[in-house]
Amino acid sequence: MIAKEICERVLQKAASTGADYAEIFAENTLNHAVDLVGGKVDAVHDAQIAGAAVRVFQGLRSVMATTVDTSEAGLLRCAQRAAEALAEGRAEVSITLRERLFGDIHPIRVVPSGVDNAVKADLLKEACAAARDYDAAVVQVTGTLMDVDHHILVATSEGLWTQDRQIRTRMMVRAVAEVRGETQTGAYNPGARRGMELFETVKPADVGREAARQAVIMAGAGYCPAGVMPVAIGSGFGGVIFHEACGHSLEAASVAYGNSQFCGKLGEKIAHEKVTAIDDGTLPNEWGSINIDDEGTPAQRNVLIENGVLKSYMIDKFNGRRMGMPSTGSSRRQSFAYAPTSRMTNTFIAPGSDKEEDIIASIEYGLYAKTMGGGSVNPVTGEFNFAVNEGYLIRNGKICEPVRGASLVGKGDQVIQKIDMVGGALACGQGMCGASSGSIPTNVGQPLIRVSSITVGGR
Amino acid sequence: MDFQTFRQVADEEAAALHIEEYELYYQVEESASVSVFRHEINDCSSSNDGGVCLRCLVNGRMGYASTQLLSEESARALVRRAAGNAAVLETSDPEFLAEAGQSYQAVETSRAALPDTKLLSKTALAGQDALYAQPGVVDGSNTEVHAHRFSIAIHNSRGLDLQYENTLTFAVLSPVVSDGAPEEEKATGFKFAFGQLDQLDLSAAARETADEARETLGAGTAPTGVMPVVFSPKAMSYLLTFYSEVFSAERVQKGLSLLKDKEGTAIASPVVTLVDDPFYEKNPLPMPFDAEGTPARRKNVIENGVLTTLLYNLRTAAAAGKTTTGNAAKSNYDSVIDIQPFTMYFASGELTQEELLRKAQNGVLITSLDGLHAGANTISGDFSLQSAGFLIENGRKGAPVRSFTVAGNFFDLLKNITAIANDPQPPFFPSSTSFVSPSVLVEGLTIAGK
Repeated sequence: MIAKEICERVLQKAASTGADYAEIFAENTLNHAVDLVGGKVDAVHDAQIAGAAVRVFQGLRSVMATTVDTSEAGLLRCAQRAAEALAEGRAEVSITLRERLFGDIHPIRVVPSGVDNAVKADLLKEACAAARDYDAAVVQVTGTLMDVDHHILVATSEGLWTQDRQIRTRMMVRAVAEVRGETQTGAYNPGARRGMELFETVKPADVGREAARQAVIMAGAGYCPAGVMPVAIGSGFGGVIFHEACGHSLEAASVAYGNSQFCGKLGEKIAHEKVTAIDDGTLPNEWGSINIDDEGTPAQRNVLIENGVLKSYMIDKFNGRRMGMPSTGSSRRQSFAYAPTSRMTNTFIAPGSDKEEDIIASIEYGLYAKTMGGGSVNPVTGEFNFAVNEGYLIRNGKICEPVRGASLVGKGDQVIQKIDMVGGALACGQGMCGASSGSIPTNVGQPLIRVSSITVGGR
Repeated sequence: MDFQTFRQVADEEAAALHIEEYELYYQVEESASVSVFRHEINDCSSSNDGGVCLRCLVNGRMGYASTQLLSEESARALVRRAAGNAAVLETSDPEFLAEAGQSYQAVETSRAALPDTKLLSKTALAGQDALYAQPGVVDGSNTEVHAHRFSIAIHNSRGLDLQYENTLTFAVLSPVVSDGAPEEEKATGFKFAFGQLDQLDLSAAARETADEARETLGAGTAPTGVMPVVFSPKAMSYLLTFYSEVFSAERVQKGLSLLKDKEGTAIASPVVTLVDDPFYEKNPLPMPFDAEGTPARRKNVIENGVLTTLLYNLRTAAAAGKTTTGNAAKSNYDSVIDIQPFTMYFASGELTQEELLRKAQNGVLITSLDGLHAGANTISGDFSLQSAGFLIENGRKGAPVRSFTVAGNFFDLLKNITAIANDPQPPFFPSSTSFVSPSVLVEGLTIAGK
C-alpha cells in the first residue's frame, strides 16, 4: 500500500520533534452492502475508504493526524502536522523498517468483493422469502448482505512494517409481524471473518426463518412484567451482559484514567466463582477475530476473569503507558479516521458445569431472556442496560408464555457477583460495538446463565 | 488531483457510458481536537477526511458509489461502479435529481480557518481548571476542545451547482464527581459549550454540569408502578432523536413506520406541536438546502396533535403525489439518500418545569436516558430504557433515583402528553440534524425500580 522506504521517511518526519514512538496506519477498504426491502433490491452501498493516520507519543501525550492524501508529499505533510502538535523540539532519528508477517489464521475461500451483486442479491432473496413464507403474520421483511475487505498497513518507529487483510461477511434479516393489531420485530444477523463460503454453513433460509420466528412470537406476546427477579439469560448473543456489565469496564480506555469500577482490582475476586471470562482475538474465522491489532500487535487470548478473580485488563500501547502494562493486542479502530484504543474482540463467559434444565428449574418466578439485543454502559458508575428481544416468563421452574418489551438494568460490579449458575454449552453472537474509536465487529458469547436477581424493565 | 479535475474526468466517463443523469456530492472535512487529563494535554488530533459520492440514473434506477481516492483511475471506476450498482436494483418508484435555478434562503455561516493548537490547548486547560474549581470534582474528569470545518458541494447533470461550508468550535466538559465517602460513590456529567473558543463561558458550563452530576449522588431506587413522568429537556430531546425516523416517508412507504395513512389525523395530544426548522436560531449549523439540493424550509410535522406532514425527499414525495419537504439527508458523503429532520423540536407551552411537577403530583422526573439504540423499537414504538432522575413527591422535585427503567410506547406517549413546559435548551449536541425539547409531562408510563 505504502512502500517501506516512504514509511521510513514519514516516520522520521513524525519523530522529528522528539516523539518517543511514531506509527503509520494506512488502509484501503471496500465496504459493500446489498439491501432488500419487500423482496426487491432497494439499494447497493459501495464505498472505498482510503487514507492514513500518523500517531506520535511523547510520554503520556499522544497526537494523531490523518489524511486522505496518501502520496508521499501528503503523508509527509500529515507527519509534519503531528510532529508540530506534539512538541517544539528537534530530534534527528533514523528508522529502519523490517517487514514482518504474522501469518493468517483466518483463511478466506471466496473473496466477496469479487462476487457479483446479483449473486449476493439471490442469497438475500432466499433469506427474505423464507422469512415472508414463515407465517402469514409476517408483513414486511428487510435484509442486508454486507461484506468488508479491509486492507491495513502498520509501520512503527520500533521497526515494524506489516500488512493484514481483514475480510468479513454478514447477513442481516429483520422481520415485522402483526398479530391482532400488535406489531413486533425480529432480527437475526449472523456473520464471520469469512468470505462468501459463510453461506455453506449459514443457510440463508434459516437466517430468514429465525428472524420471522422471533417477530411472530413477540407479536403475539403480552408485555413483560416490571420488577426485580431472577433471570436466565440464553447462550449466544446473551453474552452481551458480560460485554456491557464488565467488558467495557476492563478496557484500558477506562481503567487507565481511573474511570472504571475495576481499577486496582487485579488479583481480587470481583465476580462469582463460577464466572471465567475470556477475550480471544485468535479464534479462527470468528466475527471479532484479528491476526494483528491496529497497532501491529499479534492477537492474543486474554483470560480476563478466572473463577471470579480478575486476571487481566484489555490494553493498547498508549493507555498501557499510563498503566505501566504492555499491550494485550487489544488496540482497535473503525478506520484511519479514528484514534485506536483498547477494545474487545471475541468476549465470552466460559462453559461451566450447571445443567441447563437445572438452571430453569431453579427459578420459581422469573424471566428467561432467550434472545438479547444490544446495550450500553457507563464504566465510571458501572450502570448498564440491554434489551431482551425474546423473553419468556418462568413459573415454578418451567418456561411459560412469551413476553415482550423488556430490558435489564443494573450495576456491573454487583451483577457479575450474581451470575451464580453457568451452563455447559457455549455459543457466540455477532455485534457491532461502538466507542471512541468507532464501530468495530465483536463477538459476545456465553452458555445459558442465571443471574440471581436483576431489575427487569417491563410494563 | 483536485476535485475540479476529478469532476471533469467523471463527466467524460459518464458521457462515454451514455449516462445522462448523475450527481457528484463532494465533502471535505478538516478537524482538530485537544483532550486534557489531570491538567495535562494527553491527546491531540488533526484530521483531514472526506470523499466523493457519485450517483447516477440507469434505466430509471439510482446507483451509488463513493471513494476517498481522487485520481483519474478512481474517477472513471467510480462512474462504472455506480452504473453497475444501478443495474441490480429492482426499485419501482421513479428517481429524480434536483433542478437548477431554485432560490435558497441565505444563512449565516463561518468561513474561519481552524484555530491553532495553542488556542485549542489553552481553552482545554482552562476548561479543566473550571471543572476542578467545582466542589466534588475528582480525577477522571476530562475536558476536550474540538474544531470542525467542513464543506459540501453538490453538482448534477441538470446544472445544479451548490456549495456550503461552515466551521464549528466547541468544548466538552465531562466531570466525574464523588461524594468523598470511604465506599465512594461517583457520578458523571457532560456538557457541550459552543461558540468562539475565546468567548466561551467555561465556568458557567462547568458549574452547570458539575451541579447536575453532584445532584444525582446518593441516588436511591425508584418504586415500581405506573405513574406520571416528567421528561427533562435533555431526556425528551434524546428520545426524539431515536423516534424522529417514524416521521420519514421513506420508512412509511417501506412498511417500517406505523404512521402509514395517518397524515391529516390526530396522532398526539392537542398540546403537541412538533416543528422541523433548518434555520432554528440556536443551532449553529443552519442549512440552506437538503442533501439532494432542494431548498430547506420550516414545517410543522404535528400541529395541535394532528400529523400535518411526513418528511419527504424527491422520490418519496413523487411516489405519494406530494411535493418534497426538503428533508433528503446523508449521514455521511458515502451514504445513500435517506430522510432526516434539520432541527426538530416540540413547540413550547406556557408552564414552567416546576408547574409540570405540581401537575404530576407523584411520579418521576427523568433527566437522563440510556441505551436507546437497543431499548427503543422504532417500528413497534415500544421502549424500555435505563433512566436516572428524581422522585416527584407532592408536586415537588424529591430525592435522586437511578438504575431504573421507564417503559411505554412512543405512539401512546404522544397521545398521553398532558403538558409541555417553556424551558427548551439549545441542542445539546448540535449538528445539521438536531433535536430540542422543553420539559414534557406524560401520564401513565411504567417505572421498574425496586
